[in-house]
Amino acid sequence: MFEQALEAFLTSTIAMATPILLAALGEFLVEESGIINIGIEGAMLSGAFFALSGVYFTGNIAVGLLCGMAAAIAINAMLGVLVINLAVNQVVAGTALDILAAGITGVFYRKLFGITGKAFIVTPLRPIAIGPLARIPLLGPMLFDQSPLVYFAFLMVPNIAWMIYRTRYGLRLRAAGERPEAADALGLGVYALRWQALIASGVLTGLAGAFLTVAYANTFVENISAGRGFVALAVVILGRRNPWGLAAASILFGAAMALQFGLQAVGTAIPYQLFLALPYALTLIVLAFFGGQARDPSALGVPYTRS
Amino acid sequence: MLATIGKPAGAIALAIALISFVLLALGASPAGVFSALYEGAFGNWIAFTDSLVKATPLVFTGLAISVAFSAALWNIGADGQLVIGAIAAGAVGPFLGGWPRPLAIALILIAGALGGAAWSGICGWLRARRDTNEVISTIMLNFVAAQILSWTVHGPLMEASRAYPQSMPIASSAEMYMFMPPTRLNLGMLLALILAIAMYLFLFRSEPGFQLRAMGKNRRAANFFRIPIASLTVWTMALSGALAGLGGAVQISAINHRLYEKVSPGWGFEAIAVALVARLNPLAIIVAAIFFGALDNGSQAMQRAEGVSPVLVQVIQAMVILILLAFDTSAWGNLRDAFSRTPTATSRTTEAHDV
Amino acid sequence: MLEAKSITRRFGRTVALDDVNFSARAGEIHALLGENGAGKTTLMNVFTGRIRPDSGVVSLDGKPLPLGSSDAALRAGIAAVHQSPMLFERFTWEENLALGGFGRDGGGLGLQKLDLEAVASRAAELARHLGFELPPPRVIIAERSVAERVRLEVLRALSFDPRVLILDEPTGVLAPSELTAFLDLLRRLRGEGRIVILITHKLAEARAVADRITVLRNGRLVAETTPAESDESQLARLMIGELMTPPEAQLHPVAKADTLLEIENLTYRNGGATILDGISLRLNAGEIAGIAGVDGNGQVELVEVLAGARRATSGSFRIPGNDSGSAMAAIPQDRDLDGLILDMQLWENLLLAEPVRAHMTRRGWLDVPGAMERCREMLSAFRIRATGPEALASSLSGGNRQRLEVARALTQNPRVIVAHNVTRGLDLNATADVHRILLEFAAAGGAVLLISSDLDELLAMTSRLFVISRGKIRATDPRDRSPEKLGLLMAGRWRD
Repeated sequence: MFEQALEAFLTSTIAMATPILLAALGEFLVEESGIINIGIEGAMLSGAFFALSGVYFTGNIAVGLLCGMAAAIAINAMLGVLVINLAVNQVVAGTALDILAAGITGVFYRKLFGITGKAFIVTPLRPIAIGPLARIPLLGPMLFDQSPLVYFAFLMVPNIAWMIYRTRYGLRLRAAGERPEAADALGLGVYALRWQALIASGVLTGLAGAFLTVAYANTFVENISAGRGFVALAVVILGRRNPWGLAAASILFGAAMALQFGLQAVGTAIPYQLFLALPYALTLIVLAFFGGQARDPSALGVPYTRS
Repeated sequence: MLATIGKPAGAIALAIALISFVLLALGASPAGVFSALYEGAFGNWIAFTDSLVKATPLVFTGLAISVAFSAALWNIGADGQLVIGAIAAGAVGPFLGGWPRPLAIALILIAGALGGAAWSGICGWLRARRDTNEVISTIMLNFVAAQILSWTVHGPLMEASRAYPQSMPIASSAEMYMFMPPTRLNLGMLLALILAIAMYLFLFRSEPGFQLRAMGKNRRAANFFRIPIASLTVWTMALSGALAGLGGAVQISAINHRLYEKVSPGWGFEAIAVALVARLNPLAIIVAAIFFGALDNGSQAMQRAEGVSPVLVQVIQAMVILILLAFDTSAWGNLRDAFSRTPTATSRTTEAHDV
Repeated sequence: MLEAKSITRRFGRTVALDDVNFSARAGEIHALLGENGAGKTTLMNVFTGRIRPDSGVVSLDGKPLPLGSSDAALRAGIAAVHQSPMLFERFTWEENLALGGFGRDGGGLGLQKLDLEAVASRAAELARHLGFELPPPRVIIAERSVAERVRLEVLRALSFDPRVLILDEPTGVLAPSELTAFLDLLRRLRGEGRIVILITHKLAEARAVADRITVLRNGRLVAETTPAESDESQLARLMIGELMTPPEAQLHPVAKADTLLEIENLTYRNGGATILDGISLRLNAGEIAGIAGVDGNGQVELVEVLAGARRATSGSFRIPGNDSGSAMAAIPQDRDLDGLILDMQLWENLLLAEPVRAHMTRRGWLDVPGAMERCREMLSAFRIRATGPEALASSLSGGNRQRLEVARALTQNPRVIVAHNVTRGLDLNATADVHRILLEFAAAGGAVLLISSDLDELLAMTSRLFVISRGKIRATDPRDRSPEKLGLLMAGRWRD
C-alpha cells in the first residue's frame, strides 16, 4: 500500500518535473546568450492553451504540439523585438508579456468555451511504457512509463550540455552573454545568436506548456501554468547554470508539487493551502540559500545595442 | 510637455487599434466593445465615481512600483504585498470594535502597511544580503500570499456561520469614512492623493529620495559615493511594500469590509502599466490610475453587452506597456538597465574614447 | 595596401571624421598620431567594420571593403587590438583564441566538437614564432595581468592571419620595460609583409618605430610625414595646432607642512587574494605625491577604500583633525561608471558628493534651487561647456565630464584629493586644465595623491613618487627617476 503510494509519488515527481525542466532548459539557453526572459510564464501558458486548442480542433496531437510551440515562439519573438532590436528593459517587457498571455488565453478561452468551460477535454497524449523496464518495481514506472515528452525532456539534458560546452556554437552563444561588444567585434553575431536562443526556447517552453494540457491535465483552466515558468527561472539559478543541475533542481520541484497531491490525498489536519504554497516557498528558501548572481553571464539582462 | 503626454496617449491609441483587430478575430464588434467600456466607466454618476473607486488601489500599487522601479528594484510582488496588507487589515479589523473610529481606522491601515512592508522587506533583505534576484523572490511570495489568504478565509478568520469562504467582518469602527452615499467614494481616496504628493516630494525633493534615485540610475557610482546600497535596498522595498499593503488595507476598510478568497484582480501587475504610463512620476500616477481604473470599471459592462471577457483589459494593459517600451526607449535612463550590479574588482579601463 | 578615401562620420553634432584620406602600405608600420579626441579610434572602427562611415570608401589591395560589418572586415583580413583588451574575462585563453581565427575551420553552425587542444597547439606555434610565452593551460583571462592580456589579444588578432593589424594605444598599459619587446614584435610583423597600423598619442613611440606617420587633428587629416622629416616638436605642433607651453610645474612647499593624510598599513583582502598589502604613506600639505603603476595592481581598490566605498581588511587611514570623510575628495578612474551618473542632471551629479549634499540639505529636504545655483557657479568657474545645470551628464564631452568631476571635488573644499588616471583619454587642453587646477590646489595648501599609469604625467606633476606593484608600494629615489628604473619597479622588481 505504501509502496504503491511511493511509486505513484515517484512517477508523479518525474512528470511534474518535466514542464519545469523543459522551460528551464530553454531559459538556460536564453540566459547564456545574455537575455532574461521573465515572459517565460506567458510563453508556457500560451503553449498550454494553443496546444490544447490545436488538438481539440484537429484531433491531431502533432498539430497540437506544433500550435503550442508556435504560440510560445510568438511570445518570445515579441520579447526578441523589444529586448534585442530595441534594447528595452527586459524585466518590464517580460512581465508585460505575462499579462498579455494571461489576457489573450483568458479571452479566447472564454469566448470559445464560455465560463463553464464546456468540455474542453481531449484525449491525452498517453504515456509510453518501455517494455519490461517499466515493470521494475518502484523505479520502473517512474523512469520508463511516462509520456514521450518526459523522455524528450530528459534526453535534451545531455544534448544541450554537449552543445553548450563542447561546440563552437555553444561558445559563441556564451560569448554573446558574457561580453556582447567583444563578440560582435569578432563577427560572432550577437543579435542572431540571441534570436536563435529565443526561438529554441520557444520550442521547449511551448512543449512544456503543451505537456500541462495535452499530456497531463487534458483540459485547460485559466492560469494553468500557475507560476511554473517563474519556478523555471529559479531552477536555472539553483541548477548552477548547468543542464545536469537543472535536471536535479527540476526534479526537486517536481517532488514538491507531487508531494502536494500526495499529502492532500493522505488527508491530514494540515491545511491544504500549505501544500499548494510549498513549491513557491521552497523555491524562495532554496534561492535564498543557494542563489546569488555571481555566476550569471556578465552581460545578463543588460540591454545591448550594436554600435 | 506635449511629448510627455503625447507618447503615453499615442501608446494607448495604438493599443486600442490593435485590440480592435483582436476583437474582430473573436467575432465581437470593436465599436460595441469600446462604447460599452465608455458607458460602464463614465455613463452616469455612480459609474464615474466607481471608476475613481477602482482607481484607488491602482494609485497605491502604482506608487509602490514607482518607488521600487526608481531604485532599479524590480518589485513584481506588489500584488502579494497588497494581499498581505489586506489580510493584516482583515485580521486586526474585527477586533477593533469599541475603539474610537479615527484610531481604529489608523490601526487597520498601519497593520496593512506593516504587513506589506514586511512581505516586501524580506525580498529586499534577501537582495541586499544574499544577492537573491528580487524578481523571482517577489513573484514567489505572490503565490504564497494567495495561499495564506485562502487559508485565512477557510480557517482562522472564517466567518462565524462557516458557510461561505469569507472572513469575519471588520468592526464598524474600522470602516473607512464614506462620502456621498450611494457612491463608494471614501476617505481612503484622499489618502491615496496625499501619498502621491508625498511620494513625489520624497523622490524629487528629499535627500533620501535622491539617494534612492541615484542608486537606481547607477548603482556603481552610488556605491562609490558611499550611498548605503544595502540598507537603502531594504528600506526601499519595505516602503514599496508598505504602499501596496496600505492599498490592501484601504480596500478592506472602505469597500470589502472583510476578506474573500480573492482580494486583488491583479492590481499589482496592472500597477506596472500605470507606473510606466506615468513614467514613474507619482503625480502622473493619479491620472494613469484613473484611466486604468475606468477601464476596469467599464469591463463589466463590456461583458454584458458584447460577451467579451473582462480579462480583455489585461490585454490592453499589456499592449500599452509593450508599446510604450517600444517607442520610448531613450527617455528612461535607468529603466534600460535591468540588472546593474557592482562588478567584481577587475581593473578594466572602460573609457569612452570613441571619438 | 589599405586605402581610405573621404571618410566622414558624425556623432550627433560632433564631426568625428571629416573627409579623411588615409593609406598604408604592405610591409610598413604606419603610425596614426593624434591627441585624444582627434578621431583615431573612430577611423579604426571604420576599418574594423564596427561602425559605418557616413560617406567615403575603403579598399584593401585594390578590392573594395564592405563597410559596417565586423565579419566582413575580418574575412577581408583586417584585425585589431583594442585599447582595453576585448577579451572574455571569464573564459580561458584557449576559448578566447577559439573564438578568434583558430577555431574557425569548417563553416556551418559549428555544432561539431570543439577541439581546444588543437587551438592551444596552433596558438603555441604562433606564439613561439612571435617570441611570446603562453599562459598555463585552461586559466581564465581574469587571472592574467593586463600586459599579458594585450599579448593574448595580439595573438588572437593574428590568429586570423590578417593582412592588416591595427593596434589602438597598446602601450598605455605596458610597463616601460615591456615596451621595447613590444616594439620589436611590431617590427617582426612588418617583416612578414603585413600592414601594421599603430594608433597612438605618444610622439616618441611613433617616431621610434614607424615608417610613416599620419597626423589627425579634430577629425581632419593634417599631415602625412615620416620620422625623418618631422621631429617631436613639429609633430606636437601638428597634433595640437599650436605650440603648447608645459604647465607651470611650480610646487611651492608650504612653510609649515602639516600631515594631511596618514595611511597606516592598509590591507585589503578579497576571496583569498591580497589586493592591498600593508600600504603606508603620509601626505603633507602643499605636495603632490604620485603612485605609479601598471593597471591592475590594486589602484582601483586603494581609491575605493580611501573614498569610503570599500572597507579595508585591516589598517587605517585618517585625516588628522577631521573625523568625517568630508575632507577627502576622490576622483575615480572610470568616470562614466563610477564618477558620474550619466542619466542625471549636472546639479544632481554635483550632489553626489556628500559634503555638498549635506550643505544643501535642511532636515532631509534638498534645496534644489540652491543646488542648481551652486552648479551654475561651478560650471562657469571651471569653464565647463554645458547648456546649464539641468543638462544631462551624458550630454557632456569626455573632457568636460572630467572637468566636472575635478570641479566637484574642489567644491567640497577638501584638504586632500585622490585622483586616479585623472587625465586618461583627455585631449591636451583638458589635460592641461586639470593639471593646472591640481597644482593650484596644492599651492593653496591642499595635498594631492595622484595615482596614474602615465609616467610623463607623474614625472611632471609630483614631488614624491611611489610605485605600486601587486598591492605593495615603495618609495622611489628622487635622484633616480629614469623610465628604465621606474619600469623595473613597476614590474615589481624590487624584492630582490
